[in-house]
Amino acid sequence: MDERRSGAVEESLLRQGRKYALGLRLIVVGLSSTAAVLFGAAPPVALALTGWNLLYAWKGTGRWAPADVAVMVAVGLTQPWTVESDPRGGGTWVLIAVAITLVTYPWLLPGIGFIAAVTVVVGAHYAGTILADPGGWLVNETVEAWTAAEAGLSWALYRFVRRSALTADGIVSRGAQLRRTAAIAAARRADEREYLAALHDTASVTLLMIGNGVLTKREPWLAEQARRDLREIGRPDADGELDLIALLRDIATHTPLRISWHAPDELLLPAVDAVALSRGTREALTNVVRHAGVGHADISVRRDGATVTVEICDEGRGFDPAQTPPRRYGVTRSIQDRMTRRGGEAHVVSSPGNGTTVTLIARLAVPEVRGDEGVIAASFQRGLHWAVVVTVLAVLVLLDLPHLLAAPEAYTSLPAQYAVWGGLVAVTLIAAWARRMPRWPLVVAVAVCSSVATATVRPEFRLGPAHWSEGDAGWPIVLILLDSPVVILAAVLAGQYLLTFAQAAVDGQAALSVAGVVNATWAVLFFQLGIAMVAAVLRGLAVSSGRVLREAERVRTAEEVGRQLHRDRERRWAELAPATVPLLGGLAAGELDPADPRVRARCAAEAARMRRLLGEDATVTDPLARELRACIELAERNGVPVSFAEYGARPELPPPARRRLTEPAIAALATARGKVRLTVAGTPDAVTVSVVARCSAPPDLPDGDGVRRSTVLDGDRWWIQAVWQGAA
Amino acid sequence: MITVVVVDDHPVVQAGVRAWCALADPPIEVVAWGPDVSAAWLAPGATADVVVLDLQLDVTGPAYGDLKRLVDAGRQVIVYSMRADRDTVLTCLDIGACTYLTKAEGEDHLVAAIAAAAAGTPYTPPALSGAFGTDDRPHRPRLSPRETEVLLEWFHSESKEMVARRLHLTVHRVNSCLERVRVKYANVGREAPTKAALVARALQDGLLTTDDL
Repeated sequence: MDERRSGAVEESLLRQGRKYALGLRLIVVGLSSTAAVLFGAAPPVALALTGWNLLYAWKGTGRWAPADVAVMVAVGLTQPWTVESDPRGGGTWVLIAVAITLVTYPWLLPGIGFIAAVTVVVGAHYAGTILADPGGWLVNETVEAWTAAEAGLSWALYRFVRRSALTADGIVSRGAQLRRTAAIAAARRADEREYLAALHDTASVTLLMIGNGVLTKREPWLAEQARRDLREIGRPDADGELDLIALLRDIATHTPLRISWHAPDELLLPAVDAVALSRGTREALTNVVRHAGVGHADISVRRDGATVTVEICDEGRGFDPAQTPPRRYGVTRSIQDRMTRRGGEAHVVSSPGNGTTVTLIARLAVPEVRGDEGVIAASFQRGLHWAVVVTVLAVLVLLDLPHLLAAPEAYTSLPAQYAVWGGLVAVTLIAAWARRMPRWPLVVAVAVCSSVATATVRPEFRLGPAHWSEGDAGWPIVLILLDSPVVILAAVLAGQYLLTFAQAAVDGQAALSVAGVVNATWAVLFFQLGIAMVAAVLRGLAVSSGRVLREAERVRTAEEVGRQLHRDRERRWAELAPATVPLLGGLAAGELDPADPRVRARCAAEAARMRRLLGEDATVTDPLARELRACIELAERNGVPVSFAEYGARPELPPPARRRLTEPAIAALATARGKVRLTVAGTPDAVTVSVVARCSAPPDLPDGDGVRRSTVLDGDRWWIQAVWQGAA
Repeated sequence: MITVVVVDDHPVVQAGVRAWCALADPPIEVVAWGPDVSAAWLAPGATADVVVLDLQLDVTGPAYGDLKRLVDAGRQVIVYSMRADRDTVLTCLDIGACTYLTKAEGEDHLVAAIAAAAAGTPYTPPALSGAFGTDDRPHRPRLSPRETEVLLEWFHSESKEMVARRLHLTVHRVNSCLERVRVKYANVGREAPTKAALVARALQDGLLTTDDL
């Protein structure tokens, strides 16, 4: 195959195409050689070729191609022993075998090898006819040329279809990229913000409350909380996953219960699901402690594919669910809410005296990816459609017109023949461009053309080469019914042939014997049916490639989400590491006293910083917030605690307006003493930046760029506001 | 004495709320505390005047279901959460929470909010005020420009005196303006007994008329 890397659709097309090429060849050669043997037109050794085809289709690889060409050369050269020269034979089984084999070669032999094979095989066939029937009717250059032309048409079809596969791959990969970006952004928002914010929140609550001065001495539980907080924020290596078992064991140690575990040692789950299950388990255990009246519970955890089940069993008092007091109902409802919100389930089974079993089921989330079947199918259909248009026009212009011109004596009315030929070309062009036009009127037009053409051929020429419309009227039908099921196309084609045969039979005489008609019919029909089959294969292929691609896409998306989350997590860790981590560490070790004013100030500042960090959406960039954040950080390093809050969606501001908005806040922060409140409020046409602080009198800055400033002095506190009003 | 049940799984928060309540005048008694909502349903928390509820924001999302059930049982609930985003704040108010406090506002506003909730009067802390003032959802109540102005200035300054000075109003006018907005919010969205009571009382007191709603 080509050196260039193929896309998934193209690869799958080449694989399927090869399979069908070999199958088609096996059937056509098998039928035509068997028919020839039965009619006595060939010796039984002709069946050996089918044996070879069978072997090739079954075991053959790309490396078998040269051997296959050699076999076909041998078949061509041995014609003196395998064919009979019968002027009414209409073509030999060897010709059919050679033709069908060459038609399948584009799928089996790449590029230059294909041209060489066609040349060699056609040459061998020609030489064979000269050896078998020197100067006789078997020797026919036009037939050889047409056989080579058929191979060329088949190659054109192959190229068309393959190019459409390439287009499909292109569209699919662009689409996939867009969807992946969207899925990653969504996952980052949902997972990162919710989960990590929740975990980090516990740490920032600890710092906030100490900063508020609620603790007057070192507490043993504070050290434990600080250790837990450290553990939670220090998970830079967790790949978006958490160990459910570790979470459950942690919860169990906070209850007085003895637990019997039926669980694996470790079960890594997406953080979202692990947290949901552990929260549910915690509530279930709380209920055991409160209501069951026993000191023991069983916890079993199992994973079954994408489903994780946690079961919490006790052998306590139990209760009658039908008569549960509403307050206890409230508790189990809260477990159910939690699980069903993410597509899971929660069941509580209990009866008085028989204990209670709480079952929590989580279905692991997988990023949803939409399929591309439609895109691929449409691309294939376009490719195949134009390939068939080219084939039909080539047959009518290059094969049929010369026949018509060569034998004017064969027809009762030459104008009628030309009219029919013109009619078929017209039908082909209409079917090519007016794809929305109803199909059946075109089929009827072809049938009328065909029957007029047959009626104006002299009986003794019927079914012979001069009767060009006999098989070739089927070509426009192939084009017209290309999108229909194969059965319908095959039935209409057969109907068209039977109509012609019936017309010929009525007048008795014909140019060919019965075996000859069978051969001649085969030679055209197999090609036509072959194309119908390719169309069907491509339709199926579009669906299966779509499925394969979707699977691959799912995996790629999940991996990319994981990588992205990991990066976000590392970034956050890096931001927390210098100040927050040592602070929590000091509290955990009991080295820092929460009653010490300096410790409290540090805690307050860190809590504010963490909250800002977590409040920000990593997937959007807001220059105004970034600028303000930078000055807040600076103020906090100088020991000025800043309480920051923002509400409302902000329009994007022109940079000069943004600078004027932030200038007063920056000036105030630089000279502030004590607590500062900094707020931003946004509406669609106005943005306000406000600062309240004990600071030096605000400098007299001019208004401009749509920004107005105003100040209020209350005792020693300045309230400075800058408002940007939109042009409206 | 006002009694309170605190639903929060963080020990430091418990310590903080206890400390503030003990220093309150008149004092407030924290009668129960628990890491999940069952503390508010079982004695002694079941009869507390006010529920201080942490939304338990974890990855599975806010515990709106717990809030709904408490509100529907006629409880006065103060949502006290780490989260300050507008959607969460306004959703809790729509469900029927008395008020919404961010954890950062606790020190300055929790005691006052508990007293107001126990008395069945509205209380609008600055963060909630900011969420009201920038609300752009289609079903928001109709506010006058002055009301929006008061909401935003209160959010910015955290000082009613400053708001009054800036807008040339009395502190009393600022308060009644905030109350009117709160009642207007109680009059829209999901129906809840606490919201209906707030509206009925405001109409009775003449704080606003049916035309204002």
